[in-house]
Amino acid sequence: MIPLTDSVPAAAIASPVITEEPPSIDYAVLSPMLVVFAAGVVAVLIEAFAPAARRHSIQLGLALASVLGAFVLTVLQVGAMPDAEAGMAPEEVAGVTTAMNSVAIDRPTLFLQGTILVLSFISLLLVAERRSGESAFAAQAATVPGSEEERSHVLAGSRHTEVYPLVLFALLGMLLFPAANDFLTMFVALEVMSLPLYLLCGLARRRRLFSQEAAVKYFLLGAFSSAFFLFGIALVYGYAGSVNFADIHEAIETGGSTLFVGGTATPLLLVGIAMIAVGLLFKVGAVPFHNWKPDVYQGAPTPITALMASGVLVAAFGAMLRVFLMAFGAAVADWRPMLWVVAILTMVLAAVVAVTQRDIKRLLAYSSVVHAGFVLTAVVAATPEGLAGALFYLAAYGFTTIGAFAVITLVRTHENGPEAADISQWAGLGRTSPLLAGALALFLLAFAGIPLTSGFIGKFAVFQAAVAAGATPLVVVGVLASAVTAFFYVRIIVLMYFAEPEGAGPSVIRAGTLTGSVIGLGVAATLLLGVYPTPVLDTLLPQPVEAALEPGMATEDGFTR
Amino acid sequence: MLLPFLLALHAVVAALLPPLARVLGTRVFVVACLPPALTALWVLAHAPDVVAGQPVTSAVTWVPALDINLEFRVDALTLAMVLLVSGVGAVIFGYCARYFHTGERGLGRLSAVLVLFAGAMLGVVSTDNLFALYVFWELTSITSFLLIGHDDRKEHARRAALQSLVTTAGFGLPMLVGFILLGQIGGSFRISTLVADPPVGDPLLPVALVLVLAGAFAKSAQVPLHYWLPGAMIAPTPVSAYLHAAAMVKGGVYLVARLAPGFAEVDPWRALVLTFGMATMVVGGWRALRQDDLKLLLAYGTVSQLGFLTLLAGTGTQVAATATIGVLLAHGFFKSALFLTVGVIDHQTGTRSIAALSGIGRRMPVVAGAATLAAASMAGLPPLLGFVGKEAALEAYLPGGDPATALPSGAAAVVLVGVVLASVLTVGYSARFVWGAFSTKDTVAERRVPRPAAAFVAAPVSLAVLSLAAGVLPFAVDPVAQGYAAAFDTSGEPYHLALWHGLTPALGLSALVLVAGALLFHRRVTVARVQQALSRWPDADRGYHGVVHAIYVVALRVTRLLQSGSLPVYLGVILATLLALPGARLVMALASGDVAPPGAGGNELRFWNTPLEGVVALLIVVTAVATVREHRRFPALILVSAMGFGVAGLFVLYGAPDLALTLVLVETLTTIILVFVLRRLPATFGTRPDGWAKRLTVLLCAAAGTFIAVSLWLMTAARTDPPVSLGYTSLAREAGGDNLVNMILADFRALDTFGEVVVLATAAVAVTSLVLLRRSRVVEETDPGPDETEEERAGARTGEGERT
Repeated sequence: MIPLTDSVPAAAIASPVITEEPPSIDYAVLSPMLVVFAAGVVAVLIEAFAPAARRHSIQLGLALASVLGAFVLTVLQVGAMPDAEAGMAPEEVAGVTTAMNSVAIDRPTLFLQGTILVLSFISLLLVAERRSGESAFAAQAATVPGSEEERSHVLAGSRHTEVYPLVLFALLGMLLFPAANDFLTMFVALEVMSLPLYLLCGLARRRRLFSQEAAVKYFLLGAFSSAFFLFGIALVYGYAGSVNFADIHEAIETGGSTLFVGGTATPLLLVGIAMIAVGLLFKVGAVPFHNWKPDVYQGAPTPITALMASGVLVAAFGAMLRVFLMAFGAAVADWRPMLWVVAILTMVLAAVVAVTQRDIKRLLAYSSVVHAGFVLTAVVAATPEGLAGALFYLAAYGFTTIGAFAVITLVRTHENGPEAADISQWAGLGRTSPLLAGALALFLLAFAGIPLTSGFIGKFAVFQAAVAAGATPLVVVGVLASAVTAFFYVRIIVLMYFAEPEGAGPSVIRAGTLTGSVIGLGVAATLLLGVYPTPVLDTLLPQPVEAALEPGMATEDGFTR
Repeated sequence: MLLPFLLALHAVVAALLPPLARVLGTRVFVVACLPPALTALWVLAHAPDVVAGQPVTSAVTWVPALDINLEFRVDALTLAMVLLVSGVGAVIFGYCARYFHTGERGLGRLSAVLVLFAGAMLGVVSTDNLFALYVFWELTSITSFLLIGHDDRKEHARRAALQSLVTTAGFGLPMLVGFILLGQIGGSFRISTLVADPPVGDPLLPVALVLVLAGAFAKSAQVPLHYWLPGAMIAPTPVSAYLHAAAMVKGGVYLVARLAPGFAEVDPWRALVLTFGMATMVVGGWRALRQDDLKLLLAYGTVSQLGFLTLLAGTGTQVAATATIGVLLAHGFFKSALFLTVGVIDHQTGTRSIAALSGIGRRMPVVAGAATLAAASMAGLPPLLGFVGKEAALEAYLPGGDPATALPSGAAAVVLVGVVLASVLTVGYSARFVWGAFSTKDTVAERRVPRPAAAFVAAPVSLAVLSLAAGVLPFAVDPVAQGYAAAFDTSGEPYHLALWHGLTPALGLSALVLVAGALLFHRRVTVARVQQALSRWPDADRGYHGVVHAIYVVALRVTRLLQSGSLPVYLGVILATLLALPGARLVMALASGDVAPPGAGGNELRFWNTPLEGVVALLIVVTAVATVREHRRFPALILVSAMGFGVAGLFVLYGAPDLALTLVLVETLTTIILVFVLRRLPATFGTRPDGWAKRLTVLLCAAAGTFIAVSLWLMTAARTDPPVSLGYTSLAREAGGDNLVNMILADFRALDTFGEVVVLATAAVAVTSLVLLRRSRVVEETDPGPDETEEERAGARTGEGERT
């Protein structure tokens, strides 16, 4: 117990600061997040007051409008960013921090937020899709699967319009996660992002026990990882005396606090980095924290899987890049070996395990794990080029993966049946629906990194950055892993185009406007980013003027402090 | 320069072909002819400049950020390749118009993919950027996959297509790594720059070269990766003629020839190229000797010739380079002529089996003549181009033949023996091809076959005549060869392609080869018996399937290990990682003394403040252990809550009764709620770990707990500044309060508290609405279901009642 005495010298007492002025908050900079948050709150109210019959259309309109609005606001901010011109100091072209330095809005943040908003918009279209009065979500999630009560809800046409506010809140977390400039904000963002997702995972209409199992697993494992993350924050705070990224960066450079004998607290920092890494690696699904991914991707409603595989992955990697490249940027020698091991394990194990998968969603889940490994090579590089490569990769992968999941929602075992999970049921799809199969083939080729698709440019960018940073063995492993993954992607293509279907073959639902546009957007983005990636890459790569001016400056990595 | 437009023209025409095919039928291939024909004409128009050493270049920027530019450069080597890819390609496309029947399935797709393939191949040989090369390279892999698997109803075709894709595209990936390395250490991704100024001496260069060669070898079907080429013979014959005589497989040879001027001197380039090239030559030739299917015979012959070409292209001397161009063109002409001949025979007779063909020569004299001419070129008979090329090749490895030879004489001698041996085999199978296809065999019933149309035969005949013409007029080809070979050092007089060099040792060897080959053919029955008697060599095809199967088996094992679906296992993995990373680091820090156990700064370690603490601690430990050992759910729950009360007791002893009170409340409430849940669950835990799994679990959990406890202990003890709460004491007195916690909650941070209250109230409202939900929104219940559901409902109702 802390002795409450006055005997401590008055000078040594850190007197509590009495705040009289509220912190200055730049609301314009935060506007995209605020719009999404406000829409989420309003959506809850709609849930309470709007008539049930019109609830769905109102909710959908509100959600889409708010995401669109937030995107426009983000684009406006990008326009307001000062262009790098010769002679400008790096600070001038960097972004700003606001709300007591807890949120940083800079180029990487804006790119990530814009990407997340677009991906969420596309996912929302998938969420909203209904066929013959059936959405992807359970009629009433609280009922026992298979019970009379459930059936009566299905017959009565109940539907969960709560899905929209939940997605909006999750989106708020995703937007804040990569923008957070201190660990506490980041933790809050992590939870705001995760909690709605835990719920959404359990809402699948078909195979509800799978879905509920997925939700429970995701929640329990996620809770544990978050706990470790929090524990790590405490340790790093002990080292740096602050949770702010810039302060931590500075503390690492100057040696940190002198907690232990010998005047060092480095062990505290290292243990803290490792524990924070556990939390972040869990969210991106790197081996050995990947186990939730196949189960959850398989069990969750497919539109939510699409959201998790795209938006959440982008957000989690955005946060990870900021933490490792900026906050822990000065301790790169300490964490690099750890991420080396994780990246190699992730690429190799996931690629090998993916070969044996028979369920298409599990397969894409493992493929997502492998892709996480590829992006990790860019994190290991820890250079501006690595950052740019990773950001491009994430955007490219996000569009492709949403498209792939959109295709999955359309292919059913039989008329009005559940989604055709087993890939053997996909045989002959190329003949019955050549367009759909062609779209999926394109997505799979992009996953494999075949030239003229976005996957190639992305892989190229991250691998080149990693080689430039001296991680050539890692790239060799990565390329070999891509060879293995290419094998199973091609296997699906061969199956779709060349194999004889069992029986009548898969039944394909006619793509509605919403799903159709999702697939179309995926195809367009995959091709566009593969054929003409220059505009995107140019915005990502650090402007030459910055690098040339002050090579050692803090903003070299593109993050603001 | 026009080249980018020509490439785009390929793509545009390919897009137009499928709709056109519906209107035009097989005549769509005439349209398909256009892009390659135009390209060939264009390159011929530039030929004088190019052979004079002025390459035609152009550049289109594609991805400047990543240094990917579409830079094109047409030099002598490219000129030779374009002649094959586009010139021979145009001839073959024209042939297709006659080969396919109008009713053939997927003509539109086939023609479109063929044109795409031609465009991609054109890109491979004309680009000057490593990555653009890779892009085009993989495009050829994909399009060839579609071409080989054209007849998608045949299981065999699908397998062969997949096999070729996995092999060529799969090994393309290491090649990409090699390219990245090469560009990184060479400082440029431009091929001409790299070749002109190779980063010799860099330790990574050999690694990069080995990786690049792996890709080139897979593409050019070098032993032991040659299996895909014979398998790919399932494709329609014109496709085989194009892919395997003129275009795709030459990609690897092209890459070797392209890089040889810069890198031939770097170890282990030459060792690899010579070893694999020679092995491929001999194995291919040997296997070609025993094929019954004419097309397979040609396929193994192609494997052999590709080995020969790789060997020549990689040797990296002036004479070998000259020979490379000679053999490259010769092979392109004669092999496509032969494939097309087989196509004609197959088309007219419906078979390609030597054992079933007889008297074809009499029925189709023109075809037989053309094929004989082409086969003679393949065997190296004068005055054909094949002879000219082979002369040069023999010259390259003769001791003293090449003044600038960079090979040690021992190696050169071995290679020479290999080349001679393979040439003998080549003569043998060439003769066997002509005999098998056209002779009248006594044992086989003669077939009555319709004569092929003149337009159909025109393609093979023209290609065969090209072989003859280029052989008789070698000075037409020689400038191209000289243009390429100029890149190599030549101290003496440069070697020229010619029919007659005088009475040289090479001429003697050529004669020897012809005689031995003729003998081999004459004693074909004996040879066949020898081949039968020899035990089969390890089959590369089986090797491929073995590797694929092994990947599956390993993957299955790993999957079973990693993907158990069990939550405790997943959690265990996370905990184990936690122990492995930060845990190990902490132990290391403690062991090395970086972190001293607390107790140094007057804050000594003591066991307890009062002995009562010991009692409570004992209670906690006992209940914890007992919980783990308990098999029944209900007692386990009671034990867990007892442990919670123990912790609350600790709080009391440390002077925090309010905290203890909260904990007791929470513990009580959770216990009650859990009891209701337990009512619906079985009395005992269904599955519990046993044996080593149990021990492992206990160990892991104990270790994780210890780790957390130790780090908490270290953390709380490590303090540099006095706690901020000390500052509050004076403030609290000032504000007139005694209880610091109350002062903070209700005064200093009152706004925070207000926020928390709001959150709690909201949560309470939400919980209430959830509880009431079942009443208000419930749908009319039907008759209670059978037995167990009824019981469950009863339980649920009771539980609900108690709670509300």
